[in-house]
Amino acid sequence: MVLTDLVRGGDEKDETPIRVRRRAVLALGAVLVAGAGASGCGLLDDEPDEPPPPDPLQPLADDAVRLAGLHRAAAVAFPDRAAVLTPIAEAHEAHAKELARIMATAAPSPAASASASGAGTEEDAVEALRVAEKAAYESAVQACLRTPNHRAALVGSIAAARATHLEALK
Amino acid sequence: MTGELTAALEAEYAAIFAYGPIGVKLTGAEQTAARAAEAAHRTLRDALVLALTGTGLPPAKAAYALPEAVVDRASALRVAITVEEKAAAVWRAALPATVDTQRRQALDALTGCAVRATRWRRFAKAKPITVPFPGKAPA
Repeated sequence: MVLTDLVRGGDEKDETPIRVRRRAVLALGAVLVAGAGASGCGLLDDEPDEPPPPDPLQPLADDAVRLAGLHRAAAVAFPDRAAVLTPIAEAHEAHAKELARIMATAAPSPAASASASGAGTEEDAVEALRVAEKAAYESAVQACLRTPNHRAALVGSIAAARATHLEALK
Repeated sequence: MTGELTAALEAEYAAIFAYGPIGVKLTGAEQTAARAAEAAHRTLRDALVLALTGTGLPPAKAAYALPEAVVDRASALRVAITVEEKAAAVWRAALPATVDTQRRQALDALTGCAVRATRWRRFAKAKPITVPFPGKAPA
């Protein structure tokens, strides 16, 4: 019908055919766009879903889970230190939980195995914890400087907490 | 941002004021720690005064209310813990209002207060000596 209109308009050689032709081109264009859209959807459906990029705070949460496990293990190995180590482990667990909440990810499971304190003396174990806390503190500082405003207080508290762990492990 | 930093300045004035009576009731390593803490708060105050110059910054008052009277070592340690916790809270509250260099300063200030609070809890034999979220009011 579109083609008929075009041909007829062309034959009549008056002003009408131009309008008709415009309408026809627009209609054709609309069909093409709709078709492209539909086939585009089909193509996307065939591709596997891309995983969303990890949240920038995910490494901070991973550190928290790992450190919680290290402190739990050390508290078992050196019960005399448990009064200091257990609250630190609980703090790391609270950090991991809160980070999971704001990242809207699944709550982390406790660290499966942590045996860093299984070998060596108590002093070696505490020194290893200090090294781990210091590195984690520095990561948290960098994360706090880069994070959006609405996350800055939480990440800042986590950085400060890690610094207090260093103090508590003296 | 100015509001948060002004609140931080008020807290720093109060901390400096509190360490006067605190230091008097402490001896030895504890007194040394009190002097160092007071000096740290003076440094923070000076940085804030610099940052807030031209914004009608509040002057220091002649006196600030203490959470309790400092009458002996035990009350001095309790007040020192509270002073650092309060200062930590205002610095934490300043973090979302800051970027770049000022955020770093606020974070370092929060961290310093949190570490000093831990140190005072150890002197006071309070347990635990750490809190999960320094500067955040307990839930």
